[in-house]
Amino acid sequence: MKEKFIELKEEFVLNFIDGGRWKWLVDGLGNTLIITLFATLIGALIGVIIATVRSTYDKNFETLQKNGGIGYYVMKVLNGICKVYLAVIRGTPVVIQLLIIYFIVFAKSNNDLFIAIFAFGVNSGAYVAEIFRGGIMSIDNGQFEAGRSLGFNYVQTMIYIVIPQTIKTVLPTLCNEFIVLLKETSVAGYVGIMDLTKAGDLIRGRTFSAFMPLIAVALIYLTIVLILTKLVSILERRLRRSER
Amino acid sequence: MNDENNIYKDDGFIIETKDLKKYYKDGTIKALDGVSISVKPGEVVVIIGPSGSGKSTLLRSLNLLEIPTEGEVLFRGVDISAKHVNINLHRQKMGMVFQHFNLFPHKTILQNMTLAPIKLLKKTKEEAEKKAIELLQKVALADRADAYPSQLSGGQKQRIAIVRALCMEPEVMLFDEPTSALDPELVGEVLDVMKNLAKEGMTMLCVTHEMGFAKEVADRVIFMADGVIVEEGTPGEIFTSPKNPRLQQFLQSIL
Repeated sequence: MKEKFIELKEEFVLNFIDGGRWKWLVDGLGNTLIITLFATLIGALIGVIIATVRSTYDKNFETLQKNGGIGYYVMKVLNGICKVYLAVIRGTPVVIQLLIIYFIVFAKSNNDLFIAIFAFGVNSGAYVAEIFRGGIMSIDNGQFEAGRSLGFNYVQTMIYIVIPQTIKTVLPTLCNEFIVLLKETSVAGYVGIMDLTKAGDLIRGRTFSAFMPLIAVALIYLTIVLILTKLVSILERRLRRSER
Repeated sequence: MNDENNIYKDDGFIIETKDLKKYYKDGTIKALDGVSISVKPGEVVVIIGPSGSGKSTLLRSLNLLEIPTEGEVLFRGVDISAKHVNINLHRQKMGMVFQHFNLFPHKTILQNMTLAPIKLLKKTKEEAEKKAIELLQKVALADRADAYPSQLSGGQKQRIAIVRALCMEPEVMLFDEPTSALDPELVGEVLDVMKNLAKEGMTMLCVTHEMGFAKEVADRVIFMADGVIVEEGTPGEIFTSPKNPRLQQFLQSIL
Protein backbone atom coordinates (compact mmCIF):
# COMPACT_ATOMS: atom_id res chain seq x y z
CA MET A 1 0.00 0.00 0.00
CA LYS A 2 2.68 2.41 1.02
CA GLU A 3 4.76 1.48 -2.00
CA LYS A 4 1.83 2.19 -4.26
CA PHE A 5 1.42 5.59 -2.66
CA ILE A 6 5.06 6.46 -3.11
CA GLU A 7 4.85 5.36 -6.72
CA LEU A 8 1.89 7.68 -7.31
CA LYS A 9 3.69 10.53 -5.64
CA GLU A 10 6.70 10.04 -7.89
CA GLU A 11 4.45 9.96 -10.91
CA PHE A 12 2.83 13.19 -9.80
CA VAL A 13 6.17 14.92 -9.25
CA LEU A 14 7.45 13.68 -12.58
CA ASN A 15 4.42 14.83 -14.53
CA PHE A 16 3.53 18.10 -12.90
CA ILE A 17 6.34 19.40 -10.69
CA ASP A 18 9.51 18.59 -12.64
CA GLY A 19 10.36 21.29 -15.13
CA GLY A 20 7.31 23.24 -13.94
CA ARG A 21 5.10 21.17 -16.22
CA TRP A 22 1.96 22.18 -14.32
CA LYS A 23 2.42 25.56 -15.92
CA TRP A 24 1.78 23.95 -19.30
CA LEU A 25 -1.63 22.90 -18.08
CA VAL A 26 -2.33 26.37 -16.75
CA ASP A 27 -1.30 27.97 -20.05
CA GLY A 28 -3.29 25.39 -21.96
CA LEU A 29 -6.36 25.99 -19.83
CA GLY A 30 -5.93 29.74 -20.38
CA ASN A 31 -5.90 29.26 -24.14
CA THR A 32 -8.89 26.93 -24.01
CA LEU A 33 -10.89 29.49 -22.06
CA ILE A 34 -9.83 32.40 -24.28
CA ILE A 35 -10.72 30.50 -27.45
CA THR A 36 -14.08 29.38 -26.01
CA LEU A 37 -15.03 32.80 -24.69
CA PHE A 38 -14.25 34.80 -27.83
CA ALA A 39 -15.51 32.10 -30.15
CA THR A 40 -18.81 32.19 -28.25
CA LEU A 41 -19.01 35.96 -28.69
CA ILE A 42 -18.33 35.68 -32.43
CA GLY A 43 -20.74 32.78 -32.64
CA ALA A 44 -23.49 34.70 -30.84
CA LEU A 45 -23.00 37.69 -33.14
CA ILE A 46 -23.07 35.60 -36.32
CA GLY A 47 -25.95 33.55 -34.94
CA VAL A 48 -28.16 36.54 -34.15
CA ILE A 49 -27.53 38.11 -37.56
CA ILE A 50 -28.23 34.88 -39.45
CA ALA A 51 -31.31 34.11 -37.37
CA THR A 52 -32.65 37.63 -37.95
CA VAL A 53 -32.11 37.42 -41.71
CA ARG A 54 -33.69 33.98 -41.92
CA SER A 55 -36.74 34.75 -39.80
CA THR A 56 -37.21 38.15 -41.47
CA TYR A 57 -37.32 36.41 -44.80
CA ASP A 58 -39.71 33.74 -43.58
CA LYS A 59 -42.04 36.14 -41.82
CA ASN A 60 -42.13 38.92 -44.42
CA PHE A 61 -42.10 36.79 -47.52
CA GLU A 62 -45.55 37.99 -48.60
CA THR A 63 -44.74 41.70 -48.22
CA LEU A 64 -41.36 41.32 -49.89
CA GLN A 65 -42.90 39.50 -52.81
CA LYS A 66 -45.64 42.10 -53.21
CA ASN A 67 -43.29 45.09 -53.13
CA GLY A 68 -40.84 43.25 -55.37
CA GLY A 69 -37.89 45.30 -56.55
CA ILE A 70 -34.41 45.28 -55.10
CA GLY A 71 -35.41 44.56 -51.47
CA TYR A 72 -36.91 41.23 -52.44
CA TYR A 73 -33.83 40.10 -54.32
CA VAL A 74 -31.42 41.33 -51.64
CA MET A 75 -33.31 39.35 -49.01
CA LYS A 76 -33.52 36.33 -51.28
CA VAL A 77 -29.76 36.37 -51.86
CA LEU A 78 -28.97 36.98 -48.16
CA ASN A 79 -31.28 34.17 -47.14
CA GLY A 80 -29.61 31.90 -49.70
CA ILE A 81 -26.14 32.73 -48.36
CA CYS A 82 -27.28 31.97 -44.82
CA LYS A 83 -28.73 28.65 -45.88
CA VAL A 84 -25.49 27.62 -47.61
CA TYR A 85 -23.45 28.66 -44.57
CA LEU A 86 -25.66 26.63 -42.24
CA ALA A 87 -25.56 23.59 -44.50
CA VAL A 88 -21.79 23.65 -44.94
CA ILE A 89 -20.90 24.30 -41.31
CA ARG A 90 -23.36 21.83 -39.88
CA GLY A 91 -22.56 19.26 -42.54
CA THR A 92 -18.79 19.04 -42.06
CA PRO A 93 -16.66 18.10 -39.03
CA VAL A 94 -15.25 20.95 -36.97
CA VAL A 95 -11.71 19.55 -37.33
CA ILE A 96 -11.91 19.82 -41.12
CA GLN A 97 -13.20 23.38 -40.81
CA LEU A 98 -10.34 24.23 -38.46
CA LEU A 99 -7.74 22.70 -40.80
CA ILE A 100 -9.18 24.49 -43.83
CA ILE A 101 -9.26 27.84 -42.05
CA TYR A 102 -5.74 27.33 -40.66
CA PHE A 103 -3.97 25.96 -43.73
CA ILE A 104 -5.97 27.54 -46.56
CA VAL A 105 -7.92 30.64 -45.51
CA PHE A 106 -5.34 32.10 -43.13
CA ALA A 107 -2.29 30.28 -44.52
CA LYS A 108 -0.18 33.42 -44.28
CA SER A 109 -1.16 34.41 -40.73
CA ASN A 110 0.90 33.50 -37.68
CA ASN A 111 -1.68 34.42 -35.08
CA ASP A 112 -2.75 30.89 -34.19
CA LEU A 113 -4.99 31.87 -31.32
CA PHE A 114 -6.93 34.31 -33.51
CA ILE A 115 -7.36 31.66 -36.19
CA ALA A 116 -8.71 29.18 -33.67
CA ILE A 117 -11.12 31.77 -32.25
CA PHE A 118 -12.30 32.58 -35.77
CA ALA A 119 -12.73 28.95 -36.76
CA PHE A 120 -14.66 27.94 -33.64
CA GLY A 121 -16.68 31.17 -33.77
CA VAL A 122 -17.75 30.54 -37.35
CA ASN A 123 -18.61 26.98 -36.40
CA SER A 124 -20.58 27.92 -33.33
CA GLY A 125 -22.44 30.67 -35.20
CA ALA A 126 -24.30 28.10 -37.27
CA TYR A 127 -25.59 26.31 -34.20
CA VAL A 128 -26.44 29.51 -32.33
CA ALA A 129 -28.31 30.74 -35.43
CA GLU A 130 -30.63 27.78 -35.37
CA ILE A 131 -31.14 28.02 -31.61
CA PHE A 132 -32.00 31.69 -31.98
CA ARG A 133 -34.21 31.20 -35.00
CA GLY A 134 -36.13 28.56 -33.10
CA GLY A 135 -36.52 31.08 -30.27
CA ILE A 136 -37.79 33.83 -32.57
CA MET A 137 -40.23 31.50 -34.29
CA SER A 138 -41.51 30.26 -30.92
CA ILE A 139 -42.69 33.75 -29.93
CA ASP A 140 -46.43 34.01 -30.51
CA ASN A 141 -47.21 35.74 -33.79
CA GLY A 142 -49.60 37.97 -31.86
CA GLN A 143 -46.56 39.71 -30.37
CA PHE A 144 -45.36 40.67 -33.85
CA GLU A 145 -48.84 41.80 -34.81
CA ALA A 146 -49.29 43.86 -31.66
CA GLY A 147 -45.96 45.58 -32.32
CA ARG A 148 -46.71 46.19 -35.98
CA SER A 149 -50.24 47.42 -35.27
CA LEU A 150 -48.84 50.10 -32.95
CA GLY A 151 -46.77 51.36 -35.86
CA PHE A 152 -43.38 49.78 -35.16
CA ASN A 153 -41.54 48.65 -38.25
CA TYR A 154 -40.21 45.13 -38.47
CA VAL A 155 -36.79 45.90 -37.02
CA GLN A 156 -38.20 47.93 -34.11
CA THR A 157 -40.68 45.14 -33.35
CA MET A 158 -37.78 42.71 -33.23
CA ILE A 159 -35.60 44.92 -31.03
CA TYR A 160 -38.20 46.12 -28.51
CA ILE A 161 -40.58 43.19 -28.36
CA VAL A 162 -39.43 39.93 -29.87
CA ILE A 163 -35.70 39.66 -29.16
CA PRO A 164 -35.97 40.47 -25.41
CA GLN A 165 -38.47 37.64 -25.09
CA THR A 166 -36.38 35.37 -27.30
CA ILE A 167 -33.24 35.89 -25.23
CA LYS A 168 -35.09 34.79 -22.16
CA THR A 169 -36.20 31.56 -23.76
CA VAL A 170 -32.91 30.69 -25.47
CA LEU A 171 -30.41 31.84 -22.84
CA PRO A 172 -30.09 28.44 -21.13
CA THR A 173 -29.67 26.71 -24.50
CA LEU A 174 -27.05 29.28 -25.51
CA CYS A 175 -25.13 28.64 -22.30
CA ASN A 176 -25.21 24.93 -23.05
CA GLU A 177 -23.81 25.71 -26.48
CA PHE A 178 -20.95 27.48 -24.70
CA ILE A 179 -20.29 24.33 -22.67
CA VAL A 180 -20.30 22.18 -25.80
CA LEU A 181 -17.89 24.60 -27.46
CA LEU A 182 -15.52 24.40 -24.48
CA LYS A 183 -15.12 20.68 -25.10
CA GLU A 184 -14.99 21.05 -28.87
CA THR A 185 -11.98 23.35 -28.69
CA SER A 186 -9.98 20.32 -27.57
CA VAL A 187 -9.22 19.67 -31.24
CA ALA A 188 -7.28 22.95 -31.47
CA GLY A 189 -4.11 20.89 -31.01
CA TYR A 190 -4.56 19.69 -34.59
CA VAL A 191 -3.10 22.96 -35.79
CA GLY A 192 -0.47 23.16 -33.09
CA ILE A 193 -2.28 25.38 -30.64
CA MET A 194 -1.38 24.66 -27.05
CA ASP A 195 -4.80 24.26 -25.47
CA LEU A 196 -5.55 22.20 -22.37
CA THR A 197 -5.76 18.89 -24.23
CA LYS A 198 -2.56 19.56 -26.15
CA ALA A 199 -0.78 20.52 -22.93
CA GLY A 200 -1.71 17.21 -21.30
CA ASP A 201 -0.62 15.34 -24.39
CA LEU A 202 2.71 17.19 -24.47
CA ILE A 203 3.40 16.16 -20.87
CA ARG A 204 2.57 12.56 -21.78
CA GLY A 205 5.01 12.71 -24.68
CA ARG A 206 7.73 14.13 -22.47
CA THR A 207 7.33 11.85 -19.45
CA PHE A 208 6.15 8.70 -21.24
CA SER A 209 3.49 8.31 -18.59
CA ALA A 210 -0.08 8.67 -19.80
CA PHE A 211 -2.22 8.18 -16.73
CA MET A 212 -1.58 11.31 -14.68
CA PRO A 213 -1.62 14.03 -17.38
CA LEU A 214 -4.60 12.69 -19.28
CA ILE A 215 -6.72 12.08 -16.18
CA ALA A 216 -5.76 15.52 -14.90
CA VAL A 217 -6.92 17.12 -18.15
CA ALA A 218 -10.17 15.18 -18.07
CA LEU A 219 -10.80 16.24 -14.48
CA ILE A 220 -10.20 19.89 -15.30
CA TYR A 221 -12.70 19.77 -18.18
CA LEU A 222 -15.18 17.92 -16.01
CA THR A 223 -14.88 20.39 -13.16
CA ILE A 224 -15.43 23.40 -15.42
CA VAL A 225 -18.35 21.76 -17.21
CA LEU A 226 -20.00 20.78 -13.93
CA ILE A 227 -19.63 24.29 -12.54
CA LEU A 228 -21.03 25.85 -15.72
CA THR A 229 -23.90 23.38 -15.86
CA LYS A 230 -24.79 24.25 -12.30
CA LEU A 231 -24.73 27.96 -13.15
CA VAL A 232 -26.99 27.37 -16.15
CA SER A 233 -29.53 25.52 -14.04
CA ILE A 234 -29.54 28.36 -11.50
CA LEU A 235 -30.05 30.81 -14.37
CA GLU A 236 -32.87 28.68 -15.74
CA ARG A 237 -34.63 28.66 -12.41
CA ARG A 238 -34.25 32.44 -12.07
CA LEU A 239 -35.71 33.03 -15.52
CA ARG A 240 -38.63 30.75 -14.84
CA ARG A 241 -39.34 32.51 -11.57
CA SER A 242 -39.43 35.95 -13.20
CA GLU A 243 -42.18 34.72 -15.50
CA ARG A 244 -44.59 34.61 -12.61
CA MET B 1 -46.49 66.49 -37.84
CA ASN B 2 -48.36 68.81 -40.22
CA ASP B 3 -46.29 67.76 -43.18
CA GLU B 4 -47.20 64.18 -42.51
CA ASN B 5 -50.88 64.98 -42.39
CA ASN B 6 -50.74 66.75 -45.71
CA ILE B 7 -50.56 63.48 -47.56
CA TYR B 8 -54.17 62.76 -46.66
CA LYS B 9 -56.92 63.66 -49.10
CA ASP B 10 -59.90 63.59 -46.76
CA ASP B 11 -63.01 62.83 -48.74
CA GLY B 12 -65.56 62.43 -45.99
CA PHE B 13 -64.56 58.86 -45.19
CA ILE B 14 -61.91 57.72 -42.74
CA ILE B 15 -61.67 54.17 -44.07
CA GLU B 16 -62.74 52.73 -47.38
CA THR B 17 -62.09 49.47 -49.13
CA LYS B 18 -62.62 48.98 -52.82
CA ASP B 19 -63.41 45.52 -54.11
CA LEU B 20 -61.08 43.93 -51.59
CA LYS B 21 -60.07 40.34 -52.30
CA LYS B 22 -57.94 37.95 -50.30
CA TYR B 23 -57.18 34.55 -51.80
CA TYR B 24 -55.19 31.74 -50.26
CA LYS B 25 -53.60 28.79 -51.98
CA ASP B 26 -53.73 30.22 -55.50
CA GLY B 27 -57.34 31.28 -55.28
CA THR B 28 -58.85 28.01 -54.11
CA ILE B 29 -59.77 29.63 -50.79
CA LYS B 30 -61.43 33.02 -51.03
CA ALA B 31 -61.41 34.66 -47.61
CA LEU B 32 -62.55 37.95 -49.10
CA ASP B 33 -64.21 38.03 -52.48
CA GLY B 34 -64.79 41.65 -53.34
CA VAL B 35 -65.65 43.70 -50.27
CA SER B 36 -66.28 47.44 -50.43
CA ILE B 37 -67.03 49.43 -47.31
CA SER B 38 -66.78 53.06 -46.36
CA VAL B 39 -66.72 54.38 -42.83
CA LYS B 40 -67.26 57.99 -41.82
CA PRO B 41 -65.40 59.62 -38.93
CA GLY B 42 -67.17 58.95 -35.65
CA GLU B 43 -69.09 55.98 -36.98
CA VAL B 44 -69.30 52.72 -35.03
CA VAL B 45 -69.48 49.77 -37.40
CA VAL B 46 -69.99 46.25 -36.15
CA ILE B 47 -69.16 43.33 -38.42
CA ILE B 48 -70.96 40.05 -37.73
CA GLY B 49 -71.11 36.73 -39.48
CA PRO B 50 -70.51 33.01 -39.09
CA SER B 51 -66.95 31.79 -38.57
CA GLY B 52 -64.97 31.64 -41.79
CA SER B 53 -67.03 34.43 -43.30
CA GLY B 54 -63.98 36.66 -43.73
CA LYS B 55 -64.90 39.27 -41.11
CA SER B 56 -61.58 39.05 -39.26
CA THR B 57 -59.68 39.00 -42.54
CA LEU B 58 -61.49 42.18 -43.56
CA LEU B 59 -60.65 43.91 -40.28
CA ARG B 60 -57.02 42.81 -40.41
CA SER B 61 -56.75 44.03 -44.00
CA LEU B 62 -57.64 47.55 -42.91
CA ASN B 63 -54.22 48.05 -41.30
CA LEU B 64 -52.54 45.65 -43.69
CA LEU B 65 -51.79 42.94 -41.16
CA GLU B 66 -53.41 40.89 -43.87
CA ILE B 67 -52.17 41.79 -47.33
CA PRO B 68 -55.03 41.84 -49.82
CA THR B 69 -54.62 39.93 -53.05
CA GLU B 70 -56.57 42.57 -54.98
CA GLY B 71 -58.39 45.81 -54.30
CA GLU B 72 -57.58 48.92 -52.32
CA VAL B 73 -57.64 50.03 -48.72
CA LEU B 74 -58.00 53.79 -48.30
CA PHE B 75 -57.22 55.57 -45.05
CA ARG B 76 -58.37 59.20 -45.16
CA GLY B 77 -58.38 59.05 -48.93
CA VAL B 78 -54.89 57.58 -49.34
CA ASP B 79 -54.41 54.13 -50.80
CA ILE B 80 -52.37 52.48 -48.06
CA SER B 81 -52.37 49.09 -49.79
CA ALA B 82 -50.31 50.43 -52.68
CA LYS B 83 -46.69 49.43 -53.17
CA HIS B 84 -44.01 51.32 -51.26
CA VAL B 85 -46.40 53.02 -48.84
CA ASN B 86 -44.87 53.49 -45.40
CA ILE B 87 -47.60 51.55 -43.66
CA ASN B 88 -46.01 52.08 -40.23
CA LEU B 89 -46.94 55.78 -40.23
CA HIS B 90 -50.57 54.99 -41.02
CA ARG B 91 -50.74 52.21 -38.46
CA GLN B 92 -49.81 54.70 -35.75
CA LYS B 93 -53.18 56.33 -36.38
CA MET B 94 -55.10 53.05 -36.36
CA GLY B 95 -55.38 51.33 -33.02
CA MET B 96 -55.97 47.61 -32.93
CA VAL B 97 -57.26 45.29 -30.23
CA PHE B 98 -56.84 41.55 -30.59
CA GLN B 99 -58.79 38.55 -29.40
CA HIS B 100 -55.84 37.32 -27.35
CA PHE B 101 -54.83 40.75 -25.98
CA ASN B 102 -51.18 40.40 -27.11
CA LEU B 103 -49.78 42.43 -24.25
CA PHE B 104 -45.99 42.33 -24.02
CA PRO B 105 -45.30 39.86 -21.21
CA HIS B 106 -41.78 41.16 -20.48
CA LYS B 107 -42.99 44.69 -19.78
CA THR B 108 -45.12 46.20 -17.04
CA ILE B 109 -48.54 47.64 -17.82
CA LEU B 110 -47.12 51.15 -17.84
CA GLN B 111 -44.24 50.08 -20.10
CA ASN B 112 -46.69 48.33 -22.41
CA MET B 113 -48.55 51.59 -22.77
CA THR B 114 -45.63 53.99 -23.08
CA LEU B 115 -43.31 52.01 -25.35
CA ALA B 116 -44.84 53.09 -28.65
CA PRO B 117 -45.55 56.75 -27.72
CA ILE B 118 -41.96 57.19 -26.51
CA LYS B 119 -40.30 55.44 -29.45
CA LEU B 120 -42.63 56.48 -32.26
CA LEU B 121 -44.28 59.75 -31.23
CA LYS B 122 -41.03 60.88 -29.56
CA LYS B 123 -42.84 61.79 -26.37
CA THR B 124 -40.80 62.14 -23.20
CA LYS B 125 -41.17 59.42 -20.64
CA GLU B 126 -43.04 61.83 -18.33
CA GLU B 127 -45.50 62.92 -21.01
CA ALA B 128 -46.17 59.35 -22.07
CA GLU B 129 -46.65 58.16 -18.50
CA LYS B 130 -48.96 61.04 -17.67
CA LYS B 131 -51.18 60.16 -20.60
CA ALA B 132 -51.03 56.46 -19.72
CA ILE B 133 -52.04 57.05 -16.10
CA GLU B 134 -54.96 59.22 -17.24
CA LEU B 135 -56.19 56.42 -19.45
CA LEU B 136 -55.61 53.81 -16.74
CA GLN B 137 -57.78 55.86 -14.40
CA LYS B 138 -60.54 55.87 -16.99
CA VAL B 139 -60.59 52.07 -17.03
CA ALA B 140 -60.10 51.85 -13.25
CA LEU B 141 -56.74 50.11 -13.46
CA ALA B 142 -54.37 52.85 -12.31
CA ASP B 143 -53.36 50.73 -9.32
CA ARG B 144 -52.02 48.02 -11.63
CA ALA B 145 -49.59 50.26 -13.53
CA ASP B 146 -46.54 48.40 -12.26
CA ALA B 147 -47.98 44.91 -12.56
CA TYR B 148 -47.01 42.48 -15.31
CA PRO B 149 -49.63 41.20 -17.75
CA SER B 150 -49.44 37.69 -16.28
CA GLN B 151 -50.77 39.09 -13.00
CA LEU B 152 -54.01 40.36 -14.56
CA SER B 153 -57.33 38.72 -15.38
CA GLY B 154 -58.43 38.39 -18.99
CA GLY B 155 -60.83 41.31 -18.70
CA GLN B 156 -58.14 43.50 -17.19
CA LYS B 157 -55.71 42.48 -19.92
CA GLN B 158 -58.16 43.45 -22.63
CA ARG B 159 -58.90 46.82 -21.01
CA ILE B 160 -55.14 47.42 -20.91
CA ALA B 161 -54.85 46.39 -24.56
CA ILE B 162 -57.51 48.98 -25.44
CA VAL B 163 -55.82 51.80 -23.56
CA ARG B 164 -52.43 50.77 -24.90
CA ALA B 165 -53.80 51.38 -28.39
CA LEU B 166 -55.38 54.66 -27.22
CA CYS B 167 -52.00 55.91 -25.98
CA MET B 168 -51.07 56.41 -29.64
CA GLU B 169 -54.06 58.76 -30.00
CA PRO B 170 -55.47 56.84 -32.97
CA GLU B 171 -58.13 58.19 -35.32
CA VAL B 172 -59.82 54.84 -35.66
CA MET B 173 -59.95 51.72 -33.50
CA LEU B 174 -60.15 48.20 -34.89
CA PHE B 175 -61.47 45.46 -32.59
CA ASP B 176 -60.93 41.86 -33.62
CA GLU B 177 -63.30 39.76 -31.48
CA PRO B 178 -62.21 41.56 -28.32
CA THR B 179 -64.40 39.53 -25.95
CA SER B 180 -64.21 36.08 -27.55
CA ALA B 181 -61.37 34.83 -25.35
CA LEU B 182 -62.93 36.06 -22.11
CA ASP B 183 -64.84 34.26 -19.42
CA PRO B 184 -68.51 35.31 -19.68
CA GLU B 185 -68.47 37.29 -16.44
CA LEU B 186 -65.55 39.42 -17.69
CA VAL B 187 -67.12 40.41 -21.00
CA GLY B 188 -69.15 43.26 -19.50
CA GLU B 189 -66.21 45.26 -18.20
CA VAL B 190 -64.56 45.27 -21.63
CA LEU B 191 -67.77 46.18 -23.45
CA ASP B 192 -68.29 49.07 -21.02
CA VAL B 193 -64.92 50.50 -21.97
CA MET B 194 -65.81 50.17 -25.63
CA LYS B 195 -69.20 51.81 -25.13
CA ASN B 196 -67.58 54.79 -23.43
CA LEU B 197 -65.13 55.05 -26.26
CA ALA B 198 -67.98 55.08 -28.76
CA LYS B 199 -69.74 57.80 -26.75
CA GLU B 200 -66.61 59.94 -26.90
CA GLY B 201 -66.91 59.86 -30.67
CA MET B 202 -64.15 57.40 -31.57
CA THR B 203 -64.48 55.81 -35.00
CA MET B 204 -64.71 52.10 -34.37
CA LEU B 205 -64.84 48.94 -36.43
CA CYS B 206 -65.59 45.87 -34.42
CA VAL B 207 -65.81 42.20 -35.27
CA THR B 208 -67.83 40.61 -32.51
CA HIS B 209 -70.37 38.02 -31.50
CA GLU B 210 -71.86 40.32 -28.87
CA MET B 211 -75.19 41.15 -30.49
CA GLY B 212 -76.24 43.19 -27.46
CA PHE B 213 -73.27 45.47 -28.02
CA ALA B 214 -74.09 45.74 -31.72
CA LYS B 215 -77.72 46.69 -31.01
CA GLU B 216 -76.84 49.25 -28.40
CA VAL B 217 -73.76 50.95 -29.80
CA ALA B 218 -73.47 50.37 -33.53
CA ASP B 219 -74.46 52.99 -36.08
CA ARG B 220 -74.26 50.32 -38.72
CA VAL B 221 -74.07 46.55 -38.79
CA ILE B 222 -72.43 44.59 -41.60
CA PHE B 223 -73.30 40.94 -42.05
CA MET B 224 -70.71 38.88 -43.94
CA ALA B 225 -70.75 35.35 -45.26
CA ASP B 226 -68.40 33.49 -47.60
CA GLY B 227 -66.13 36.49 -48.06
CA VAL B 228 -68.77 38.96 -49.17
CA ILE B 229 -71.08 41.47 -47.52
CA VAL B 230 -74.52 39.91 -47.57
CA GLU B 231 -76.48 42.66 -45.87
CA GLU B 232 -75.78 45.90 -44.06
CA GLY B 233 -77.87 48.47 -42.29
CA THR B 234 -78.77 50.01 -38.97
CA PRO B 235 -79.02 47.64 -36.01
CA GLY B 236 -82.81 47.98 -36.25
CA GLU B 237 -82.83 46.90 -39.89
CA ILE B 238 -80.46 44.02 -39.33
CA PHE B 239 -81.86 42.60 -36.13
CA THR B 240 -85.60 43.29 -36.39
CA SER B 241 -86.21 43.03 -40.11
CA PRO B 242 -83.44 41.01 -41.74
CA LYS B 243 -84.09 40.47 -45.44
CA ASN B 244 -81.50 37.96 -46.56
CA PRO B 245 -82.23 34.33 -45.66
CA ARG B 246 -78.57 33.75 -44.69
CA LEU B 247 -78.83 36.54 -42.15
CA GLN B 248 -82.20 35.31 -40.87
CA GLN B 249 -80.73 31.85 -40.41
CA PHE B 250 -77.63 33.24 -38.69
CA LEU B 251 -79.65 35.36 -36.27
CA GLN B 252 -81.90 32.43 -35.44
CA SER B 253 -78.96 30.23 -34.64
CA ILE B 254 -77.36 32.67 -32.21
CA LEU B 255 -80.25 34.36 -30.46
